[in-house]
Amino acid sequence: MFKVIDSAVPIACWSCSIGHNDSTLFCPHCSKIQPPPGGDYFSVFGLEPRLNLDLTALEHEFHRLSRKLHPDRFARAEENEKQWSLADTALLNDAYRTLKDPLRRTEYLLKLLGAEIGAGQESKEEKVARVPADLLEEVFELNMQLEEMRAASKTGVEDPELQAGLEQAKRRFDGLLVEVDQDLRTQWQAWDEGDAAARASAQRRMVALLDRRRYLSNLVRDVTETLGA
Amino acid sequence: MAYSERVIDHYNNPRNVGQLDKGSTEVGTGLVGAPECGDVMRLQIRVNPATQVIEEAKFKTFGCGSAIASSSLATEWIKGRTVDDALGIKNTDIVKELSLPPVKIHCSVLAEDAIRAAIGDWKKKNSAPVAAVAAEAVAVAG
Repeated sequence: MFKVIDSAVPIACWSCSIGHNDSTLFCPHCSKIQPPPGGDYFSVFGLEPRLNLDLTALEHEFHRLSRKLHPDRFARAEENEKQWSLADTALLNDAYRTLKDPLRRTEYLLKLLGAEIGAGQESKEEKVARVPADLLEEVFELNMQLEEMRAASKTGVEDPELQAGLEQAKRRFDGLLVEVDQDLRTQWQAWDEGDAAARASAQRRMVALLDRRRYLSNLVRDVTETLGA
Repeated sequence: MAYSERVIDHYNNPRNVGQLDKGSTEVGTGLVGAPECGDVMRLQIRVNPATQVIEEAKFKTFGCGSAIASSSLATEWIKGRTVDDALGIKNTDIVKELSLPPVKIHCSVLAEDAIRAAIGDWKKKNSAPVAAVAAEAVAVAG
């Protein structure tokens, strides 16, 4: 089901020729550095794909691998190994940056899953339906208020009522963001611990939540900018 | 990435920005959004009830230049067409006219969705009143 299974295809170590899974940075048999593995970011850290991660352990493992991959350690190594230490370090950095951030991790996992359930296969109607009409209505109204306020600030005319309205809207949207994030965490758990059906449902819910979150965070950003200006 | 000249033209001189009376039975309103980028687009039409021709079209879009250009172009194209004719406009026509790059194709999809939503809203408004008028006629006759 996961991409990680693709990487479970054993490949032979370039140095000792013993087969290992294509997900490790170092050969488990002879400990030699390997070219950048083709598995997903989770497998770089020896993890199964999951959404609730022990961030302390992840950071610890990141530092451990970074040290082991450091190009200084390969100053006298073969040319190939020098190149791999750079390429593996770049991969490790990308993997760590993606996994340590909860939103990027969620988006990444959904993308991994989407690559297999056929991303972009959904119809246009489904896509539109993902954004609830009431949220769209609200997003549109708030954008109108923002525009009004920007125009007003250009002419130098302050409108305290408009300002108060925006501040109130910002608090409301901040609150909605907190709700979305709480809901996301619930879905993480459902996905991590659920069977195939529970995972599929959590996955759909997470896609919808991320869409909602994008609207909300764009709005909060715009409102903050306008209020600050 | 550079915008095409046509996009810039529509962006700088958007056609038909504004709004129509949402409450009017002759007006259909479509409000759609693209979750990928957080854009929102409102497209409204005023349809002549006798001829089914879209006589007026207005839009208001909060989004990138391509989204604004796509909706501006959409209002230009649907004006003067019958409702059924306007449904024939495809997002690929918009892509072609504006030379939109692949990453901006969803803007044209949004514009097509907005046309459909506006027409859908108008149709909904104009099927219910017919039934209501008929019921009233029956009531009067009775």
